[in-house]
Formats: sequence, structure tokens, C-alpha cells
Amino acid sequence: MTQSQGKVLIVDDESPIRRALRNTLTGMGFTVDDASTGEAALELVRGAPYDAVLLDINMPGIGGIRACREIRKSLPLLGILMLTVRDSEEDKVAALDAGADDYITKPFHIRELAARIRAAVRRSSASRVDPDAVIRIGNIELDPARRLVRKAGEPVHLTPKEFDLVRYLMAHAGLPITHARLLHAVWGPEYGGELEYLRTFVRQLRKKLEDDPAEPAYLLTDSHIGYRFADARPEPVEENA
Amino acid sequence: MDGKTELSSGLVTESNAWTRANGWMSYWKAARSHVAALRGYLAGLAAVALVTPVAFRLHLNTSTAGFLYFLIVVLVSIAWGFWEASVASLIAVNCLNYFFVPPVLTWRVANPQDWVSLAAFEVTALIVSRLHTRAQAQARAEARQRSQVEKLYELSRRILFLDRRQTIGPQIVSLIQEIIGTESAALFDAALAHVDATGSSAGDLGQLARGAYFQDAALVSHGGRASAQVLRLGSRPVGAIALCGPDLDRLTIVAVASLAAIALERARSFEKESRAEAARQTEQLRTAVLDALAHAFKTPLTAILTASSGLLDAGRLSTDDAELAALIDEQATHLNRLTTELLQMARIDAAQVRLRRERLSVLTLIEDVLARYREQLDGRRVSVPDNASRLEVHGDREILTAALGQFIDNASRYSTPGTPISIAAEESLGEVIVAVHNEGPAILPADRERIFERFYRAEASRHRAPGTGLGLSIVKKAAEAHNGRTWVVSEEGAGATFFFALPSGIRR
Repeated sequence: MTQSQGKVLIVDDESPIRRALRNTLTGMGFTVDDASTGEAALELVRGAPYDAVLLDINMPGIGGIRACREIRKSLPLLGILMLTVRDSEEDKVAALDAGADDYITKPFHIRELAARIRAAVRRSSASRVDPDAVIRIGNIELDPARRLVRKAGEPVHLTPKEFDLVRYLMAHAGLPITHARLLHAVWGPEYGGELEYLRTFVRQLRKKLEDDPAEPAYLLTDSHIGYRFADARPEPVEENA
Repeated sequence: MDGKTELSSGLVTESNAWTRANGWMSYWKAARSHVAALRGYLAGLAAVALVTPVAFRLHLNTSTAGFLYFLIVVLVSIAWGFWEASVASLIAVNCLNYFFVPPVLTWRVANPQDWVSLAAFEVTALIVSRLHTRAQAQARAEARQRSQVEKLYELSRRILFLDRRQTIGPQIVSLIQEIIGTESAALFDAALAHVDATGSSAGDLGQLARGAYFQDAALVSHGGRASAQVLRLGSRPVGAIALCGPDLDRLTIVAVASLAAIALERARSFEKESRAEAARQTEQLRTAVLDALAHAFKTPLTAILTASSGLLDAGRLSTDDAELAALIDEQATHLNRLTTELLQMARIDAAQVRLRRERLSVLTLIEDVLARYREQLDGRRVSVPDNASRLEVHGDREILTAALGQFIDNASRYSTPGTPISIAAEESLGEVIVAVHNEGPAILPADRERIFERFYRAEASRHRAPGTGLGLSIVKKAAEAHNGRTWVVSEEGAGATFFFALPSGIRR
């Protein structure tokens, strides 16, 4: 509690939510600021360095999605988490497309929110480190330079595309990657709608990486949105049921 | 010509009124045409009687007198017709013979050449009046045809401007009566099984139209004065029309029938369109209200849950305080669940107006649902069928995911903890069936139907786990929205299997 977990900006038009979040997050060791509109948030992030922004989607004024796009334009590394009250895939995909790192559906448990904030913060700092650094999550180890994946120390044979897919997901561990973004990143910009193609690949990968492919522990499905690789910590990254 | 003025123009329903009216009318018509015909003959006679003494006094010669008589015959033919002119010509030829052909004032004819002249006069008079009458008849027919075309045009124009807010049938029949000039008109609308009729013999015509529709044939009645025609759109009969009046030829009736058919169809499609529009607006309103409600409920819930989970997570509470914070947390979570399920229910209700159907792989559906309930399943073994990747359904993704999710949620909460859950899927007899089996207490036979009702909770399960009584009714709604079904099979010691079946053949 002595050392700050990071500096977080809460943006929500509902003051009870700002109050609840400010107190609990401060209690968990974060340094917290808040704003009630997207416009005010834009002002704040330009003036001071933050590690993460919690941005409500439904706000009067410019709204969360536009605020997210604006922030992303000037601060490509800032961790952005969108808060949504409607459990709608369109909203979530729109948020991720606007540059958000993750989303969380209201109401949520604070521990889950904290885990997501940490993942987003890690991503922004990870982007600054060596892209060839070895990534270890659970008993999976990925060596980008040697294009090698080990599971519990044993090398796993992956096709080049499978390797690229795992590498992309592990580099963004804990964060949701939309189907379209994954297809773009691994297969190229002309891909984007080949959902079944992607699902088949993920099924193959689960057979190779998971202890039980029916109950994946690493390669997680984000219903209708995309996939996310489990976070380094064994904390549940479950979305509300 | 017509006896319309003699007839009461209100609705007459008894059939003897028809006969009475008809008798009166024919009598009136006959009398009037007798006078008219006689007038022609008398006029011819009078003209000849007037000209003859004058011409005789003036000592006109045979040919001059002949021309004068010829003129009279032609005039009579123009004014009245062939038969009147013929009679006038016979009188004229006799006068010509008696007064002008020498020897005068006798019926004798001295010069045989005069016989030829007299015969030529008579034949020419007859031919000229015949030709003229024919030309006149043709002109009259043309005029009638033109007026009919004009009437039909007028009818089609006015039919376009019918008042859409009022019933269409009465408007059509009164338009026909007004423009075509029938005594009565009736329209049978097959879709409503309703007759609209107007005019003196409305009741009879209504029956005639009904008969034409059910016999699917054109009918004629009342000595050819009333005809009925089936209304068709393409080859599909949509009703029938019956008209009664003089001078109604088949072509007019057929043309009126097709105009009426188009008018009915137009009204029907307008109605359908406005109904669809109303349904769409209701759906929009409902969605808007739901969104507002969701926001209104979820905001305080978020604040409560953030605070309660924050208190618990900080770990600075005494055991008693932690217990209270846990209670707040638990109940707020339950309230949130209730809100979410009510919203889901309302969304399915709204979606029955319009499902967003797409082709979905059963495996993908199962994977999505399991991903959603991962935390709740808490490492519980769930077996997924191998054949699921080959099965597809055509349905609304959000609604089907919600339905299948309720099965998984149910299985995880009501089964014996730690026991496996198994999912099966197959295509059978035109249905794709997904089954979720869990091991746990059986569902009593009396409850097997009722657990799918809204807010019903089985006595035994009430104490087993907190629930809303909405979950399975959401599944039922979702199945019904897709024309599918849902049911449960359960036996003591064998757990429970919940089934969800959707028609597989929908628009593949």
C-alpha cells in the first residue's frame, strides 16, 4: 500500500459510481482522479500522465466512444478500459475498435476491475520493452526470436500461422482481441470476416496448448467479441454472467 | 329510357320488392316507347298530308313532287328510324301515284315508265333510310362505348383516391353506383367474408356476389339484368362483385371487377404496411424504455457492488462486519441477476416481432455460452458433443445464447456439486436438438411443465439455490420465438436432462 499501483482516471457521469470507485480503488493502492464528462477527461489526460483511464460508454456530451478515440489519438500507450451498462456486443466491439484495451460490464466486482486495470497498465509498459523478450504465462513459454513455444518445458509443434496467432495473443495477454483485429494481424489486412476460419485455428491450438481443450485455461473465448489469452496471474477474467 | 326516378333508392332487402319494381319499370318503358314510335308514324303521315295539297295546287310535276316526298322520308328516317320512314315512304308513293302521276286523281298509271319511276322512288327511299339508320346506330354504339370507357377511367381515377382510414368496401360500391350508373352494386370481400351493397336490390346482389365467389363462376340473374363476377388477382380469387342495371355489358362488368380487385388489394397492402409500422414503433419504444430502465437499475447496483466488494476486498472488517458486507454483496448480485433476466425476457418479447436470424454453428453457440459461465462452472467438467461443429441452426444469436446459458446456469446450480454436466446435440426428424444433462435430484412429474412458467419455482429447488423463477421461462420464450420447443426429462437417481429443439429446415 506504500507504493502506488498506478494513476487512474475515472470518467463517469454518475456521481455514486465515481464515489464508490474512487474510494475502493484508492483503498487498493491506486492514485485516483475523476471526471464527469468526456470533454473534462480529454483536458485531464493531456495535462497529467495517467497509467489507465476508466471510461463510461454512455455519457452526455461527446460520449465514451468518441472520447476514447480522441484520447487514443494523442496517447497511444495509455491503458483505456471502457465501462458499459448494456451487455451488448456492438458496444464492446465499438469500444475496442475505438482503441480501448478492454471493457467491463456494470456491475462488476472490484477485484475483477482491478485485474483488468493492471493488465491494461502492463500492456502500456510492455510495449516499451524488447519485442523479442520471452513471454511466460502459466506453464506456456513463448520465445519470439527462436519462434518456439514450450508447454511445461516440452516444445510444442505449431504451424507458422498458429505461432503468429499465439504470439499476438500472448503479447496482449489479459486483453480481448477482436476477431477482426486478430485476422488482420495474423493473416493480413485483406482478412476480417473469416470467423469460422479463426475458430477452427483456435480449436487446433487448444488441442496443442490446453490440458483440457473443452475447458480452456489459456486461450479464452470472449463471447462474440474475440479471444483473449489468460493473464499472467491465475485470476479469473470472467465477464459477468 | 330508365325508370330510376320511379324507384325508391334506399336499401330494399325483400326479394318481392325487386319483382314489383321490375314490373312497374317494364310497363313504364313499354308505354313510353309505344308513344315514341307512334309519334314517328304520325309525323310522317302529317308531313305527307301537308305537302300533298300544296304541291297539287302548285301543279308541280311528278319529279319535283317526288323529291319533296323523298325529303320527307329522309327527315323521318333521321328523326325516328327505318320503320317510320318505310311507312312514310309507302304513303308518299301512293300519294305520288294518285295526285301526280297521270292520269291524276286515279290509281291508274298510263305510262309504264311511271311504274319504274314509282318503284325506283320506293326502293331508293327504303335504301337511304336503312343506310341512315344503320349509320346512326353505329354512332350511338360508339358514343355508348366512349361513355363507358370514360366512366371506367373515372372509376379507376376515383378508386386511387379512396379514403384509406375508412373501410374500403362501402366506398367501392357507392363509387360504382355513382359512376357506372348501376341501380345496385354489391361487393363480397373474401378475406373478411363480408358483403357491402348499395342500391335498390342490395340484399339480392349481395347473395349473388357471395354465390359467384363460392361457385368460382360468373353468374347472371334477374333476366340478365344482374351479373356477378369473381374478383381475381392473378389466378387467386379475392372476392366477387355483383351489379344490376340496364345496358351492362360483360366487358364493363369484367373491367369494373378488375378495378375493384386492385382497390381491395391496395387497401390490404396499405393496412399491412401500417400494422408493420405500428409494430416497429412499439418495439422501438419498448427497447428505449428497457435501455433507460437498465441504466436506471444498473447504476445504483454498480455503486453498491463496487462498495461492498471493495469493503470485502480491503480485508479490514471484523468477522461480523464482513458477514454483513457479504450479505449486501450477495443480495445486490441477486438483484442484478433478476434485472438482467427481466431485461432478457423483455428483449425476447420484443424480438418476437423481428428476430435477427443468422446461421449459427451449434459448437460455436456452446463455446460462447461456456465462456460466459466459466467462472460459475468453477472448473466443473462439461462434455461437449463431437458432432456439434457439423450442426447448424438458423436463429437469433443473442436469444439462443441466452436460452442455452439458462440451461447451463440451471445445471450448475441445481445439480450435485462437482458432478459433470454433459451437453448433447443431434439432428432428428427436421429438428436440431440440444440437450443439457446434469446429475442431481429429479424434478417431480407435476413440476416438469410448470418450471417453464414465468416466476414458477419448484418447492424443492426453492431451498436449494437462489433463483428468480425466470430462467426457464426465458428458454421457453426463446424456443417459441423460433418455432421450436423445450422440455425436460427427469427420473429419480438419473438427474435431469433439459432439451431445446429448433426446426432445422428454416430457409437453409
